[in-house]
Formats: sequence, structure tokens, C-alpha cells
Amino acid sequence: MSSHSNTHVSHSQGAPFKFTAENLAKYEELLTRYDDVESALLPVLHLVQEQNRWLPIEAIEYVSELMKIPEISIKEVISFYDMFYDIPVARNMVHVCTNITCSMFGGREIYQGLLKHFDTDYLTPTRDGRISLQKMECLGACEMAPCMRINNDYVGPVDLVSAIHKLEELP
Amino acid sequence: MEKDTANYKDFSLLSYHHIPGVHNIEVFERAGGYEMMKKCFGMEPDFIKEEVKASGLRGRGGAGFPTGVKWGFFSKDRSAQKYLLCNADESEPGTFKDRYLVEKNPHILIEGMIISAWALGTQKGYIYIRGEFYQQAMILEKALKEAYAKGYLGKNILGKGFDFDLYVHRGAGAYICGEETGMISSLEGKKGQPKLKPPFPAIKGYRGLPTMVNNVESLAAVPWIMRFGAAEYKKWGTEKSAGTKLFSISGDVNKPGVIEVPLGTSLKEIIEVHCGGMRNGNKLKAVVPGGSSAPVFNHDESYVVKMDYEDVAAKGSMLGSGAIIILDETRNIGDLMKWTLEFYHHESCGQCTPCREGTGWLESVFKRRDSGKASKSDIDLLDKTAASMRGQTICALADAAAMPAQGMIKSFRSELEAYIMTPTHTGKR
Repeated sequence: MSSHSNTHVSHSQGAPFKFTAENLAKYEELLTRYDDVESALLPVLHLVQEQNRWLPIEAIEYVSELMKIPEISIKEVISFYDMFYDIPVARNMVHVCTNITCSMFGGREIYQGLLKHFDTDYLTPTRDGRISLQKMECLGACEMAPCMRINNDYVGPVDLVSAIHKLEELP
Repeated sequence: MEKDTANYKDFSLLSYHHIPGVHNIEVFERAGGYEMMKKCFGMEPDFIKEEVKASGLRGRGGAGFPTGVKWGFFSKDRSAQKYLLCNADESEPGTFKDRYLVEKNPHILIEGMIISAWALGTQKGYIYIRGEFYQQAMILEKALKEAYAKGYLGKNILGKGFDFDLYVHRGAGAYICGEETGMISSLEGKKGQPKLKPPFPAIKGYRGLPTMVNNVESLAAVPWIMRFGAAEYKKWGTEKSAGTKLFSISGDVNKPGVIEVPLGTSLKEIIEVHCGGMRNGNKLKAVVPGGSSAPVFNHDESYVVKMDYEDVAAKGSMLGSGAIIILDETRNIGDLMKWTLEFYHHESCGQCTPCREGTGWLESVFKRRDSGKASKSDIDLLDKTAASMRGQTICALADAAAMPAQGMIKSFRSELEAYIMTPTHTGKR
């Protein structure tokens, strides 16, 4: 279902991963919410990405060791969900909705236009490492079609010009 | 209507929505929030269950199964470990009602869940919210903290000897997690693949234990029902479709957005009165009445249908999640079909062959169009493939792809045949 991993090889970031002390405390708190460790896997992977943006093999090994979940089970989960990234992504993640209502108002043209303007492809970070673009299924904000998500915030309606303008402002 | 007072007369779900800052627990309580939760702790759980059943409330996520009947299947052993799971995954294309409800008023859901937990005897609950709704998850987290601080959640709630813990659980971008058994797999830390039913989650759900899964809107309706009673709730809507419903309307209307109206309100009224009419004064061509899996209505059907479970079904579609997408005369049904089928192919979880392969076959017709190799007979192929997918799989995703495809072919065949034979412009889409 996830269209971003066309290879089963996990990528290395060339450096070890471990939670910061603050995130380790958050991890411990997360465990208290569930009656088994496995149930905390999705929130834990979200937490890894908050710290590290993506999930390199080093992070998968770390989580596997920490939670006693086999690496293969973690890889399966990562490959299933569109918001878990097993390849390096940029500082800013931009989701462009290409579902029905957004497409009616040019969502697909905006996505293609952004790829062209920033000279990149699906998820591939721009050369300055600033932006990764991901086309998404319905984001659940059809009243603001065409809409997109910039990091964790929804914006819409946008057109190609205003979308480029917003992305150019990103750090 | 007072600025800081709930408007229970006109709304059940949006009765607090006009109140500034109602996401804060103090404001919510001043307006009457959590009053019913406190009263309900003085009621027998069975009484609450009976009242919800008598109200005729039906699952607002899409299936429309009576909530009280579903509750009736749940284990009655109060000491047995069981869970309440709120479905806030909201990913059926066109749907954004739950987002609108919880981002302004998270406490109405939490109050509804605490009352439901008391009625059902669950000790722990989760709000499974789609990963994209990060800010909404944070709003819920903050509201839960406030409710814990007041002693409305946790151990021995308000000294009643009842324990209920409630947490937010974020998904990570997968449509199928909105299906209740897919959601349970996902909550268990696995791929969100649906499980065969029976056993139903009410008997064997999360971690193999009884789990009640209800939509945000269903749970949020409970405090109003308990406050005014089932008989009052039934004054809204039709005999078999009781109460009010949130509709999310998008597309070619002047004022897209979320409204709460009694079930049975005509689609014509929704478009013309609530949504300010058609955009640019254009003529209506078609309506997707209940999310992308609902078969499309043509112009004439759209102007006679009443938005309740029975009338929408009688006219060949389904009310679903209440997501209404309006298309005007400038739109091509071929585009609608292509976008819809691409979506279901992308979201098929891959477990069942008819769905994994079938959704791909459906989409491939549009790929042939791109390369100029499609023929008129491909519409028949689409129809036959769709028909062969229905009722063959673990969950309803295959049907959700097949039904709208067949519906569009039934109502717009000649337009689709012309579409499929029109080569796409190179480099443009």
C-alpha cells in the first residue's frame, strides 16, 4: 500500500540512533498507556521521527532492542503506513492532497507544479534539504480544497503561486 | 441564543460550537458540559444502554448500524477487561465532520465517552485519530489532561468507584485503519489489516478482548440523548433515521463546510439553503452523497433525495459518513471515476486477492487511456471486474471501490465511453 518503498533494503544514516533523555522519558510514559508493549509501536515510531525525521536501519534496530519487537515486524509496519519514512526526508514535510475534491480544484496540478518548481520528486528532499513533497490521499479537509499540510498544519485553499510562496518561506 | 450558553434546541452535536473558547473545560462546563456525565453516574448502566437503544441512534461512521444494538452485543460482565475505542480515523474521501467537531469541542466527545464507558463497563479507552490530524490530536490531549485534573478520568472517578482511562492514539496514514478491525490491528502495533468477522470486536477485539468501536459522532451524541431522553431525540429525523447528522459538504457549492441537520433533510435544501447554492450559478450535474464509496446521484436524483439512511438507499446509494461532494456541469464523471479508483487501489491492504488485484485492474483502464490504448469495451470490463469483486473479501474496501464504479457506469455510461477514448494531453493531467 505504501508507494514510497520500492526496495526492501533499509537505509542507513551512517550513525547510531538513540532517544534523547527527554524522549526516553516520553517513551516510558507512552508505555503506561497500553496493556502491552507492542501497542505502543506506532506512537514510538512517531516519536523517533520527531527526533530523527525518518527511520533508518539504526533506529529500527534501536526500537527493536528497546521494545523487544522483531525488526521484520517493525519494517512491515513502516512499509504499510504512508507517514512513516524509511528513506531520508527533508526538514519540512509537505503533503499535497490529490483526492476527489482537491483534484476538482487543481490539487494534482499543484503537486506536479511544485515538483517542477523545486526540481524534485516524490519524497526526495530538495537539494538544500529543505522540502520533501508527498502526494496524499484525502486529508480530510475538503472544505479548504485544494489543501495541503505543511509539517503539522493545514493550509487551504491554495493555488500553485501561493503554495510556492508558502514553501519558499520555510526554514 | 446566548453567546455562552449551549443551544440544545437546534443542535445536539454542535450545540456548543458557537461558544468562544469552548475547547477549554471551564468554558465547556459553564455552558452545561459534563453535567450529564455527573448525572449518569447516578443511573444504572442498563438504563443508559436502553435509552441509547431507544433513541434510534445509528453508527455515524458509515455503516449506520444501531449503536444501542451494537452495545447490546457487548460483554455484560463489568469486571471483565474490555475496551472502548473511538474511531476518529475519518479518511473516507469527502469526510471532515469529526475533525470539525473535535477541534472546536473536544470535551463533548470525552463526556460522551465517559458516559458510554460507565454504561458499558469499560476500564480503558482510546481515541484512534488519523495521523494527519496532528493538531486535533494535541487539542484532544490537552482536553484529556483537563478532564484528568478535574477527576473525570482515571481511578475512582468522582468517588464512584469507577475507573476509566482514556488516551489518544495517532494513526500514520492508512485509509483502511478506519475499518474497525483494521483499526484494532493498527492499535495492536501491526499493519492495519482487517480481520475476519465473526468474531466481532464486541466479543473479541483489541488484544483478543471485548472492544466496543464507535464513531466520534455517535459517542458525542450520547450526552444530549441522556439529557433530553430518547423520545426527544427521535423528534428529529425520520422514523428509522432518528436524530441529527453532521454532513461535510465540498465541491461546487458557494459555502462548503460542516452542517448539523435532522436526518431526512432534502439534499436540495442542503445545497440551496445551507451551502449558498451552486458555485458560479452553474447547473448541478452529480452528487456523491455519502463519501467516495457511495454510488453517484445524477441531477434529477439529487433534487428529490432526502438525506436519511432509507431514502438514500432506496435511490440506489448510501448515506455513509455523510460526506457530500457536489459536481457541477463543468465536471467530467471520467475524472471522478479515475480519482476514486486510483484511491482505492492505493489503499487496498493487499490481503485479499479480489481487492488487491481487482482495484489494480480497475485503475489500469485509466492507465490504458493515458497511453491511448483504451477502447469502448473497457467500460464493460470495468463493470464486470467491479461486479466480481463484491462480497468476496474480508472487509468492505473492495465493495467500496466497486460500488461507485458501477454506479457511475449505470448513470453516465456514454460520457465514460467518450472519456476513455479521449487521449490525455501529454505532460498535463
